[in-house]
Amino acid sequence: MIGSLALTSLRRRPLRTFLTALGIAVAVGSTVIFLSLGEGMRRAFAQELRGLGPDLQVSFGPFDGTVFTAVPELPIRYVGTLEAEAERFGITSVTPILLYVRGSLATSTAFVFYGVPADMDPRSLYADFELIAGRSLDPTVPDALEAVIGEQAARRAGMTVGDALRLNPRASFEIVGVASATGGLLDNAILVPLPALQDAIGTTDRVSFLALDLRVPEQASRTAAQIAAAYPELGVQTRGDISSIFERGMQITDVVRLGISGIALIVGAIAVANTMLMSVFERTREFGVVRAVGARPRFLFGLVLIEALLLSLVGAAAGIVLGQVGAHVVNVLAFEVVGVEVAAVTPRLVAFAVAVAAAMGLLAGLLPAARAARIPIAVAVARE
Amino acid sequence: MLRLVLRAKGLGKVYRTPSGEVTALTGFDHTFEPGCVTAVVGPSGSGKSTLLNLLAGFDTPTSGEVWIGNDAVHALPERERSRLRLRRFGFVFQSFNLVAVLSAEQNVALPMGLAGIPSALRRRRATALLERFGLQHRADHLPHRLSGGERQRVALARALANDPDVVFADEPTGSLDSAAGSKVMDALAAVAAEGRIVVLVTHDPTLAGRAQERLRLHDGRLVEVGAPAVLDTRTSIAPHDVGAA
Repeated sequence: MIGSLALTSLRRRPLRTFLTALGIAVAVGSTVIFLSLGEGMRRAFAQELRGLGPDLQVSFGPFDGTVFTAVPELPIRYVGTLEAEAERFGITSVTPILLYVRGSLATSTAFVFYGVPADMDPRSLYADFELIAGRSLDPTVPDALEAVIGEQAARRAGMTVGDALRLNPRASFEIVGVASATGGLLDNAILVPLPALQDAIGTTDRVSFLALDLRVPEQASRTAAQIAAAYPELGVQTRGDISSIFERGMQITDVVRLGISGIALIVGAIAVANTMLMSVFERTREFGVVRAVGARPRFLFGLVLIEALLLSLVGAAAGIVLGQVGAHVVNVLAFEVVGVEVAAVTPRLVAFAVAVAAAMGLLAGLLPAARAARIPIAVAVARE
Repeated sequence: MLRLVLRAKGLGKVYRTPSGEVTALTGFDHTFEPGCVTAVVGPSGSGKSTLLNLLAGFDTPTSGEVWIGNDAVHALPERERSRLRLRRFGFVFQSFNLVAVLSAEQNVALPMGLAGIPSALRRRRATALLERFGLQHRADHLPHRLSGGERQRVALARALANDPDVVFADEPTGSLDSAAGSKVMDALAAVAAEGRIVVLVTHDPTLAGRAQERLRLHDGRLVEVGAPAVLDTRTSIAPHDVGAA
């Protein structure tokens, strides 16, 4: 009875219902888009971690953003040190990696260079590595000025096999192959021989990190602790550690995005509260009549609350669709620029949006509902 | 069917306003009998609406008592007064006061829904009540598509939805032309003839003249109780004879 009355009331006032639901849809939609960015980045990183080969990564000091700085910090002598300890720690390979970011104001000419030993199998670093054009780095010429470029980076820069890729005035690499790594970081990276990259940036005795493969990968956490105890100056991370570092970063951005979304949601809640208050004011006589014919105050309280809830849920449904469209647009743009889909509307995000909209509707409806329940019958029915 | 009487004893209402106390009604005593249309007349500000509000439980008296059968309306908590209005009272207002977003049938069914009557049964009873007032062909129409007379007859049908003992009618013909008003008065007389109490608040002397009993209020006091009049012949018409206005 109360539900059908609420539904009838909303249906018979289509313009007001539409406009209020639209306000909620915009609020929920913008929230979904904001939060989908975090979901998309989590998904992209999880995909990347799945393809990540090494069981351990060793850095100089804690593993954080500094591994991507222009000046690498890990002395290369640790390659020999750890190889000498291979038996003790169950290490099967130690691969030095030098990261170098060539920045640019134009995203199409900004690249991440990975200096790796030319004889290294890229699959040990990225399990999904697949050559789709040209060839791999030539292991017989370890310091050749040649590069294997990720598919997205190649597409973005408009380059293909045979083109020259200039790093700086001292080095220009010839592209010999194009690789695909199914949307992971390697899609946007450029593999070059380690000595060539060291020469190019003038760092011959340091690298960014070491990738270690273990005989028993399941014991990665224990081995990491053992290496860290033996060499306290090193930072040793498992894939899980890297994931948690990323997750901590994401949680910080979650708070920021939630804060921005909160503003949109508050605006939506005010729209619902305003509409319901106006509605209660305009329907004073109607509510007085319903009370006169026998409805208890709590019936009107429930009626107004249900109307607010229905409005919010209709708005939320439209908002989720709006958010999905928005996230798709963001993904199209982001893929063009950075080669990664950064937005994802996940089931938990949809559930969150619905729950928030419902809570918003109920909260916004409380004051109007209380007001409707307190309407004096004698005054209401006499009102013109 | 045994109907109850409605009694008011020493009923009074004083409103407190910023400029002082205003006595709207004082010392009102009367027993309203079943099967009788009682017209309450008097000039504006004489206390007619206040009396109706107190009798119907819309407002609480400052003094005195209101009884319907063994229920002390004046002393009941709001929850019980709501139940009383739902089960024993019916209302007809001057400005119809139909719920604008509900069809004629839904308006009539509203009190039944509040009383918890199952959907199929309330639909059947609403249809029967609309038929009684010659409105079966208007069942699906919203109030704004109905004429004034039709709206008032829908309101009357709604007032009878839960088979009440008392029907309160506050200026029920005030917004109608004389022909439509006459039809509504016929209907009210027919309702009283079924053994219900009909309390009719009106300015219209013609309408008051057709009631069996007349109470005149002045400055919040009952100043005259008119002897029961000879039954208007039109009140004896069968309910189904009350046609469209």
